[in-house]
Amino acid sequence: MSGGGGGGRKKKILPSEDHLDLVPLIDCVFLLLLFFMLCGRLSNDQRTEQITVPPTKTATKLNTEKDWSRVIINVFGNTKTTSGNTPPRNTIRLMAGGWSKEWRSEGVNNFTGYIKLREEMNTVWDKAKKYKDPKSGMDLPQVVCEIRADADTEYRVVQEIQMVLTDSVMVDPAEGLKPRAPTGAPKAFVYIDYTTRAPQGPG
Amino acid sequence: MASMNDDPGDGNLDLVPMIDCIMLLLLFFMMTTKFTPEEKSIANILPTDKGLVATQPSKVTPPQQVNILIYPAGFQRGFGERDYVNQLGALIKQSPNAIIQEAEIRVGNRPETLKIDVKILRQTPGPTLTKHVAEIHQFISQQLGPYEKGGADRKGQDPIVIQCFSSLSWQFALIAYDAVRSYEGGLSGIKPPFTPEKLLNMREVTFSPPRIRNYSEKELGGELFEILHSK
Repeated sequence: MSGGGGGGRKKKILPSEDHLDLVPLIDCVFLLLLFFMLCGRLSNDQRTEQITVPPTKTATKLNTEKDWSRVIINVFGNTKTTSGNTPPRNTIRLMAGGWSKEWRSEGVNNFTGYIKLREEMNTVWDKAKKYKDPKSGMDLPQVVCEIRADADTEYRVVQEIQMVLTDSVMVDPAEGLKPRAPTGAPKAFVYIDYTTRAPQGPG
Repeated sequence: MASMNDDPGDGNLDLVPMIDCIMLLLLFFMMTTKFTPEEKSIANILPTDKGLVATQPSKVTPPQQVNILIYPAGFQRGFGERDYVNQLGALIKQSPNAIIQEAEIRVGNRPETLKIDVKILRQTPGPTLTKHVAEIHQFISQQLGPYEKGGADRKGQDPIVIQCFSSLSWQFALIAYDAVRSYEGGLSGIKPPFTPEKLLNMREVTFSPPRIRNYSEKELGGELFEILHSK
């Protein structure tokens, strides 16, 4: 308005004009928004992404049967996280419903991780639906335990986690872990999945 | 100005709050979205301590099983655990978190062994990795052949136990399990995914329970001695 001299045509091209054309911008933004809303899965994911699982050929795609639930036990190997730090090898991480628990089990005779894992699994067992196993007559939970161990996790950690899951070990303050005394019914989980990747890549 | 903004009949709609909102939503989805590749899994059923109960006492027969033995490569066979403690010392002392790079795999008391290389297994998917995995699969199926019990169905075959040295990377044990699965799958015709019902009708394949819990050099040497001399 202050310049005054120019004609109507010139004014439309000027960027300092009051009315910026926002329509293409909004179009773009809506498209992007729609894309992310449709393609993205908001993962309340129990899987921590930086673990490199070992390669295998016979594995199949994950699926959980109806009425069964899944608990994922992440175990770190020699992995760098996306934020750049390296959690200690053999760290156990359990994630569910927005919370995450992490325990270390590295080092000689460090059994804290297994003890805490068992405590957590006891609660999972108590809450889970059960079925009667025809062969052993035991009540078993309808829970698939998925061990998502890094390829470089030490084998002994996976071994111990299996023992903890079947509830065949107990904790002795003096001796650490030892075989469970045969009293009371064990709170065992027997169906276990191991997460792996395909050697030839996706497809 | 205030009257201009409040008036809905005005030609100029105030787009700023809407764009603010949309940008926020966009930013939220961009930051929280994860495009995860589908992962695969391999299933197993663990025995429990009340497993199969024999209905009547049967003849006592020594348990027959086929061991798949996995241990660090390059060990000289010794006469006792001390020989292994010395050899292990060098390997472990490098660093407590050192990853053992090469392992050897053997089935029962067969003389043949195969070397497995961590460096190849760690590679991103590709032909080298596929080839190495195929080699391991082929080796296991060749070695398991002589242990077939004629006349028995798959479930009646001797159970397979994977005995892996406890300080090795977990992928060695899993790749052996995978190879056995592939061998059994081929012979039984049962196709994945393996549900609990299917697994109960297949040959029993398990990972061995821990042999030691105190990971001192002496105990590790003892474990290695046991694994190397198993049949």
